[in-house]
Amino acid sequence: MNDVSDIRTMLVDSATRLFADHVNAKMLDAAKHDGWSSALWKIVEDAQLPLVSIAEDAGGAGGSLSDFAAVLRIAGRYTAPIPLAETALAGWLLASSRLAIPAGPLTVAPVHGEEISARKVGGHWKLSGSLQRVPFARIAGHIVVLAAGPAGDLVACVDAAQCEITPERNLASEPRDGVVLADAAVAAEFVAPAAGGVNPTTLRERGALLRSVAMAGALERALELAVGYAGERSQFGRKIGQFQAIQQELARFAGEVAAAVASALSAAGAVERAQNATFAVACAKIRTAQAAHEGALIAHQVHGAIGVTDEYALHHATLRLWAWREEFGNEAAWAIELGRAMCAAGADRLWPTLTAD
Amino acid sequence: MFDQVDFSALELPPSARALQREVREFLRTELAALGFTPHLGHAEFHADFTRRVAERGWIGMTWPKRYGGQERSYLDRFVVTEEMLAVAAPCAAHWFADRQTGPSLLRYGTEAQRQRYLPAIARGEYYFALGMSEPNSGSDLASVKTRAERVPNGWRVTGQKVWTSWAHKAHAFFVLCRTSPDSGNRHEGLSQLIVELDAPGVTVRPIRFMNGEHHFNEVFLDNVFVPDDRVVGEIGQGWKQVTSELALERSGPERYMTTFPLFTELMRRLGGTPDTRAAEAAGKLAARMWSLRRMSLAIAITLDPGPDSEQGTPKATVDLATEAALVKDMGTFFEREIIDAARLLATVEPAPDAADLFERYLADTIVCAPVSTIRGGTTQVLRNLIARKLLDPLK
Repeated sequence: MNDVSDIRTMLVDSATRLFADHVNAKMLDAAKHDGWSSALWKIVEDAQLPLVSIAEDAGGAGGSLSDFAAVLRIAGRYTAPIPLAETALAGWLLASSRLAIPAGPLTVAPVHGEEISARKVGGHWKLSGSLQRVPFARIAGHIVVLAAGPAGDLVACVDAAQCEITPERNLASEPRDGVVLADAAVAAEFVAPAAGGVNPTTLRERGALLRSVAMAGALERALELAVGYAGERSQFGRKIGQFQAIQQELARFAGEVAAAVASALSAAGAVERAQNATFAVACAKIRTAQAAHEGALIAHQVHGAIGVTDEYALHHATLRLWAWREEFGNEAAWAIELGRAMCAAGADRLWPTLTAD
Repeated sequence: MFDQVDFSALELPPSARALQREVREFLRTELAALGFTPHLGHAEFHADFTRRVAERGWIGMTWPKRYGGQERSYLDRFVVTEEMLAVAAPCAAHWFADRQTGPSLLRYGTEAQRQRYLPAIARGEYYFALGMSEPNSGSDLASVKTRAERVPNGWRVTGQKVWTSWAHKAHAFFVLCRTSPDSGNRHEGLSQLIVELDAPGVTVRPIRFMNGEHHFNEVFLDNVFVPDDRVVGEIGQGWKQVTSELALERSGPERYMTTFPLFTELMRRLGGTPDTRAAEAAGKLAARMWSLRRMSLAIAITLDPGPDSEQGTPKATVDLATEAALVKDMGTFFEREIIDAARLLATVEPAPDAADLFERYLADTIVCAPVSTIRGGTTQVLRNLIARKLLDPLK
């Protein structure tokens, strides 16, 4: 136990230092145009952070999914403009199928339930499909896809040069690109059957988990900014943080942040242990999306007009929160799914399910 | 927030799982045998049930064995508590003693006090109430006016306590009172005394709840003699003593589970194939409940003093008071969300006397809804406390 938490502490400390040292206003502004920061990516990749939670014998850096979640929470806190979650998802797909993990930024598809077909032609696979809003597709060197092959799901590592990519973006100007695969050729060595438990449903589940974790971090950032601002901005002759009306809002905000952190990281543990994982991820995505909704608006209200400008840092966090809460299913989508499953299981399973961690 | 907690590693060990199964089985058989009609909103008082719980070793279960405890973990106590709440088990008789009086005596009480009260509490035979609020001291607890004057071998106590739940059935209560005049620092000069409720000069009168139920009381203390050996801790340190253990008290499952049985009955009403609106509401309630439980569980585990502790009191080195206040704030609002979801999805008229569990629970919880955000620290006081903690480092 001690060893694990010592490694976690070291990882968290070094990731915090890394992001604190390198993420700055200029980088975040440039990323709005460039879609990311290649300089930050280089540093993060050198530190092997995208490979945390992938076994060393599969080309990863070792560690658990909870270790990676701890890192991603910090990346979220610094609103790091890089495809860290996406590369980790791609790494998970590749490693589970014993495929090599290429260097550079990666992403995954499909993320909106589209079907990608795969057929073998000679020594190659040919993949076809039309995909919406793939995160960081134009940045990624490879798009790791789950495709429907003749004998079940396949994992394929597609060279992005084989894809037709149409740039689009989310609210925070992160790339969310259209991708068309039109008989994209992939050599057989980069394609393998999907492992047990790897399918479009579990990919969406992992995606939702990682967005929840990143939202928890971004919420922490927004709260820090709001508390800091309340402690320095004066109106009516005193710091606005001295007004109970502001204090009550900050306290409510802190509750939302705590609930987001608790649910996102708890869900990471559940997925890692493969225990009640779907339930935990659904709860985490619902709760963090709700917290993003409440928290982002409180953060802006406390800041007043300065918070809505593009020169003040708050929007880097809030725009991401408003984008991420929708991605991999929003709170309504997950709640409907969860509610149906709970009803199908019956009232007497409610309590055992809530306590089955 | 929660900096000391690793949520991803938080899970019940096999021993707690075994206990969970044991408690579920116990409740299934016991509650059926009692022929008990459950109500929600206030824990109900049932002496026989409390004795049966005591026979299983589940009252004072974290206390040292020499005082009748079981030296089990806070996590084990958490498991027992949440199972009781999940089915609205009638725990009122032992509730305050198990949660508050016992731990206070373990931390501040004399050996003689521990010997006198703890084993009897753990046997389920001795009940405590809490004498904190007064007619003019609600949230502002330090303004209590009940005073104790020094007399040979003890103190003479005069004053009035209100909202004293189950004082009409309890054997004794802890009284927070002023033992020296307000010297300017209002947190000084307060002390905690044990007043046994059969002492001469004690009068208990009911304060009926708006639905006619009787659990609140006012307790009049008219020159009541309290011997020196009923002083808890140090004279003048009462404020510190009552505020030092709020983390567990504020973050327990009772802060988000008092309407939970209505959630279960709502699920029964919704049936196997809910419409979209019902499914979404149920899913959202589950998500909120789960996140609250994870936070509450984290606090219980983090404050656990560990197996080497003889004291049975929370780990003093960890400060989770703010996190606990957050759990209470969000938990009490969550309890209302259950009521609203049930009300709006089922569209039945609340019926206090209904045979149907759902309808009765709905009536009970609507009437009790204002209480949980008032007792044990109002929402507004808690939020001020949380905000002070957030803003403090900036000074």
